Amino acid sequence: MTYLLGIFQTIGVHTLLGLSAYLLLLTGQLSLAQVGFFAIGAYVSGILTVIFTWNIFPALAIGAFTAGFFAFLVGFPALRVKGLMLVVATISFSEIVRLFFFNLSWRVNVNGLEVGPDSTQGFREIRYFAANGWEQIHIVGLIWFMVIVVMLALWWLDQVRAGAVLRAVGTDELAAQSSGINLTMVKVAAMTGGGVIAGIGGGLFAHSTTYVDHHTFVILLATFAVSYPIIGGLRSVMGTLLAVIFIQGVIVEGLRFMGDYRNLIFGLLIILVMNLRPQGLLDGHLLEDLKKLLGRLTKGEKADA
Amino acid sequence: MNFDHIDIIQSLIDGVLFGSIYALIGLGFTLIFGAMHKLNLAYAASGIAGAYAGLMSLTILGLPALMAFFIGPITAGIIGLLLYFACFRFMPRGNHLAPLMASIGALFFIDEVIIHETSGSPLSFPAVLPDAYFFLGEFGIRGDLLIVMGFSFILMAIVMLLLYRTKLGLGTRATSQQPVAALLCGIPTHRTNGTTFVLAGVLGGFAGCLLAASVGVLSPLLTLPLTIKGLIVTVIGGLGSIRGAIIAGFAVGAAEGLFLLVRGVNERDIYVFLLLFLFLVFRPNGLFGTTINRD
Repeated sequence: MTYLLGIFQTIGVHTLLGLSAYLLLLTGQLSLAQVGFFAIGAYVSGILTVIFTWNIFPALAIGAFTAGFFAFLVGFPALRVKGLMLVVATISFSEIVRLFFFNLSWRVNVNGLEVGPDSTQGFREIRYFAANGWEQIHIVGLIWFMVIVVMLALWWLDQVRAGAVLRAVGTDELAAQSSGINLTMVKVAAMTGGGVIAGIGGGLFAHSTTYVDHHTFVILLATFAVSYPIIGGLRSVMGTLLAVIFIQGVIVEGLRFMGDYRNLIFGLLIILVMNLRPQGLLDGHLLEDLKKLLGRLTKGEKADA
Repeated sequence: MNFDHIDIIQSLIDGVLFGSIYALIGLGFTLIFGAMHKLNLAYAASGIAGAYAGLMSLTILGLPALMAFFIGPITAGIIGLLLYFACFRFMPRGNHLAPLMASIGALFFIDEVIIHETSGSPLSFPAVLPDAYFFLGEFGIRGDLLIVMGFSFILMAIVMLLLYRTKLGLGTRATSQQPVAALLCGIPTHRTNGTTFVLAGVLGGFAGCLLAASVGVLSPLLTLPLTIKGLIVTVIGGLGSIRGAIIAGFAVGAAEGLFLLVRGVNERDIYVFLLLFLFLVFRPNGLFGTTINRD
């Protein structure tokens, strides 16, 4: 049971990470800064609950806000230039954040214990949940509550004008610009939103694992974050969730018996999926087919009644 | 802390010498980007993989040390061609995300194969000239780095000759400017792109071997830093500008040497990355980039 809850925990956190990349990918931009925002969320909310002994909820909120603020700051110079430059700029940003926390040492005495980030040793004492009598099921509940809130928000975004604007920028920048859309503003807004989502994810991650260090926040995690929405497909938020379940649940957990070879398979799988389904697993055609099927099923039920 | 001018110039010299490796990697990224307007993130990894192949030819086949500098680049060229077929050849032309993502997958795959085969532990690589160290006035110069630099200059000259003096180079440049028009003129664009990947791969293989020889060890941990530095060089030089990539390579090397002296090894890379952001804010097209803001 603990094992199963652990998997749910990982899938939840990774879904948040994937959704934060999804939002920016809608505008056609690939950002590897998500792991930087994730790290900022993790460290800021961790520092607030550990050093300043805050409650978890305001700490998560401030962590998410800080991550969003940095996303906004990075967004301006990075998104003024296009596409591939952004990949380079965001990799650099994530590495700056990682190296900053790698060098950050801020040890203080709280209730007779020395706590806080300890540069290369990592940040070890994020025990808010254990100290306040939360059980694992509550933690998993909180993570999935956040996942559902974010997914609903992103789904709702597609029902209103803002979603159409995002997708318009992603489909054809020139056409979107000609219709009077401010490209930079839309992209920076998407970047900021993605930063907030990643910040929430980071805060939840830090508190559910009780320990973070700079090794957690390498570029590998950023590539995971963008691979979920790209492999899942950008047509629907469900694609990201499906990809996370497929990669974390099936490949990482299900193939544990294969040991080392699992990582080899991961790389090959990405190449294979991209060649066979460049639009992602859950692309437009499949989504239409599913809708038709669903429509036929409900029609059939009505006819029976 | 106080530094006199000797320390500063010394670290600049070391940095520029080392920067020739970055220039080579940046040149490879630029070639591929110029040809297809797509980024091959597995490129530096293929160079490191080539260096491993070179090292294997020494340890397993017992060939003389210099042979590593033949086997390595050739293997890297073959890997470059494989990467072209795996990640770029069959992708829809308008789709930028899919090939980029596939090349990230390839980066992991190459890295994991290396980690799997070596159990993740670094291997020592034979140095070119271990004892060559001489003084120029007050400044010390590492002989092996000087050879690395000379070697890079020769390679760059060869690439320039290939691009501007041969029919192959004409085809490559035509494909890079207007793929459809090039196809209509009878240039086999797919073959041209494939050749570019092989050429870039060979360059990467040389860079990988030179890096391993000057550092003294070969480790999968080298791939990501080399990838990132190569990308930074490409952007600072101006995407698609060959001359820019070469100059930016030396400049980034020099800046790195200076930051190493002033801020120490743990913080060095932070400032290199901040340098990139300075360029993005004030000169988004890089040193020699065209004003056309293409993807």
